[in-house]
This record gives sequence, C-alpha cells and structure tokens, in this order.
Amino acid sequence: MSIFEYNGSAIVAMVGKNCFAIASDRRLGVNLQTVATDFQRIFKIHDKLFVGLSGLGSDAQTLYQRLVFRHKLYQLREERDMKPETFASLVSAILYEKRFGPYFCQPVIAGLGNDDKPFICTMDFIGAKELAKDFVVAGSASESLYGACEALFKPDMEPDELSEVVSQALLASVDRDCLSGWGGHIYIVTPDEVREKILKGRMD
Amino acid sequence: MSKQQARFEPYDFNGGTCVAIAGADYCVVAADTRMSTGYNILTRDYSKINKLADKCLMASSGFQADVRALQKVLGAKHLIYQHQHNKQMSCPAMARLLSNTLYYKRFFPYYTFNVLVGFDEEGKGCVYTYDAVGSYEKVGYSAQGSGAKLIMPVLDNQLKSPSPLLLPALDAVTPLTEAEAIDVVKDVFASATERDIYTGDKLEIVIVNADGIRREYAELRKRLIH
Repeated sequence: MSIFEYNGSAIVAMVGKNCFAIASDRRLGVNLQTVATDFQRIFKIHDKLFVGLSGLGSDAQTLYQRLVFRHKLYQLREERDMKPETFASLVSAILYEKRFGPYFCQPVIAGLGNDDKPFICTMDFIGAKELAKDFVVAGSASESLYGACEALFKPDMEPDELSEVVSQALLASVDRDCLSGWGGHIYIVTPDEVREKILKGRMD
Repeated sequence: MSKQQARFEPYDFNGGTCVAIAGADYCVVAADTRMSTGYNILTRDYSKINKLADKCLMASSGFQADVRALQKVLGAKHLIYQHQHNKQMSCPAMARLLSNTLYYKRFFPYYTFNVLVGFDEEGKGCVYTYDAVGSYEKVGYSAQGSGAKLIMPVLDNQLKSPSPLLLPALDAVTPLTEAEAIDVVKDVFASATERDIYTGDKLEIVIVNADGIRREYAELRKRLIH
C-alpha cells in the first residue's frame, strides 16, 4: 500500500456562486485498522481561506502547523490576511523545499479572493499547482470523487444547492473506498458567514 | 546491477469502460468504443459488447485479445450445450459457465473485466459482475474497466437501487424506467470521458427487453486533452 493511502483520506472543494464548499471524510486509519472517527483534515487559515490536507495524517498536521506559523508572521508584517492565490504559492514553495524528502500530503486550498471571488486549487506532494474553475479532489478516494463530482457538478450553484451536491458526491465516493468514510465534515463559505456541517454516512 | 534481459510480456491493456444496469423488465449494457495501447489509440470504433446467447450479452474491458479468446471458448461450450440439451443456455447458467471458464485459467488468467446481462428464470433483468479470475456476483448494476472507479459512486447515488453494499442483500433491480436508465448511462459515460484517458470516442448502448435487442450510439469526446 502506498504511503499516501496509509491513513486514508477524501477531500473535495467545489466552487459555487460567490461561495465555495470544502469537505472531507473523518476516518483516520492505520492500514485497515480504524483508529479515529473524528479526524480533522480541513483547517481554517482565516475567515475566507481554508486548506484541506490529504495523505499521511502526521504530515498533514505538521504541515498545518508550519502554514499557520507562516500566515501569522505574514499577518504581523503586512497587517492583513493572505490572499488565497498568495497562500497557494506559499504552500507550493514549502512543499518544494522538501523536494528530496517530501511531506506526503496533497493539499486542497479554497478561499475567497479579491471581490470575494471563489478560488480553489490543489497540488501534488511536491507543490505542482493545479488551478480549477469547478472542483478539485484529493485523497485515497480521489478517483471516485472525480467521477461523482464530474457527474453532479453544475456551475454557479447557490450555497444550499452546493452543500447538497458536495454532500452527495462525498458520501457516494467514500462508500466505494474502504480507507475513507465514517461521516463527512463540510464547510460552506460565503462572503458573510461560514457554515460547518457534520454529515452522518455509512459508519464503516 | 542485475542483468536486463528481454522478456516476453504476455498481456497488454486496451482500456475501455463497461456499464450494465438491470431493470424490472429490461437490461441495459453499454461500453465505449475506444481501443488503446499505452498512450496511443488503436481504433475509435471497436465494440466491446458481445452476444453469448439469445438474451444474454457480455461486455468486457481489459486485454481484448483475451476477450476474443474467451468468447471463442464460451461460444464453443454454448454450442455443445445446445446440441446436448436442445435449447439455449439461460443467463444464470451462462454466468456460472463464465465463472468456471475464468477460474480454469487461475494461474495464467484471462486479463478481462466482464459484465454479463440477461434475464433470469423469472424474466427480470439481471447483471452479473466478474473479476479477472471468475469471482462473480448477481447485482442490479455494475461498472468494469478503466472508468469503473469514477462511475460506480454515481450509479450508487442515481439508480436508487438497494446498494450492493447493504446487508442482508436485497433484490437489486432499479425502479427506473428504460429511458431514465439510458440517460443515466449517457451521463456517467460523459463524466468518465472527461477524467479517464482510456474512455471516449463513441458510446455503444444495447438494450434488451421483451421486444428483443436494440442498439443505440451516442457521441463522446474524442480528444484526450481539450
């Protein structure tokens, strides 16, 4: 089994009309043994910027700590929050620094940029950025997520519909992957508020 | 450094995706028509769906030379059965025959990923799904091939059949009508074509019902990158 599938993960971010959704599963496993059913993979950097880290759980947590550190430093120096595009470049640089001894993580970045325009991107474990206009996926369930999102996605969805589509896509996909599941964790972010939802799915 | 010698590689992967759905009084089986090897396309017009008996069809992806060989073997066995029993093989019987034929080559397998469709003894649609060495299961719907992992979650979500993941196993035919099932098939193939390089070109859909067997075609994206 690949090191990226050691803990099992599923992350998806999707763009809607002036909003975005970012969702993950909640399982943490050690190969086929489930060890936690409330593992957090999506982290808030600031009110309009979230990052989801799939892959090895330990690297996800370490990388998150480094990113929070760098963002706080940025806030002190610039006296403002980082734009999502800038943050994406930061993550990419931090990953490539470790080119020959990498973090085994695939990040998914989602935020509201200038004029609250939704921004999503993902990158591989050494920082190759992939921008998308519709959705990005990561984790051991990524193939299933690609299929489900491709079939269910529509452009310019309102937050309620977007939340429904992301939930359906996530739950359908993790049900076909034995390494991810145990429910879902969704954040719907609009310019005014952040809605957090825990989904109950197949608990296996 | 170990000596590098030229080795004969017995298998190739020709790609492609197959999907099958069973309804109360119909069956739909669909496959794309692209045949590839590596990053090249060998042909855009290759049928992966084959008739094994009057109302029993098989769609196979994987290594098409093995698929052809498998069809020949099944065809021969079916002919002998017809001579001995004076009737066509039923779908459940053909399903078991396919499983045994695949397992016969357990230690040098047919590199084929099959779905079999037909009508069971009660006249309801049935789909049998296989792995390469003959493990099989009667289900209400299935996908096999390079795009299968992209398609299965969508079928789970859209067909409103009891999922094969439920226990105890429930009767699996979808409550959707024939036209709705065909629409779902076209949608999932459009999605799989976007994200899987081995799937594309044309979609061949074969529908089996009380009136007989009907064939439809739908266009899919031809370019790998766009």
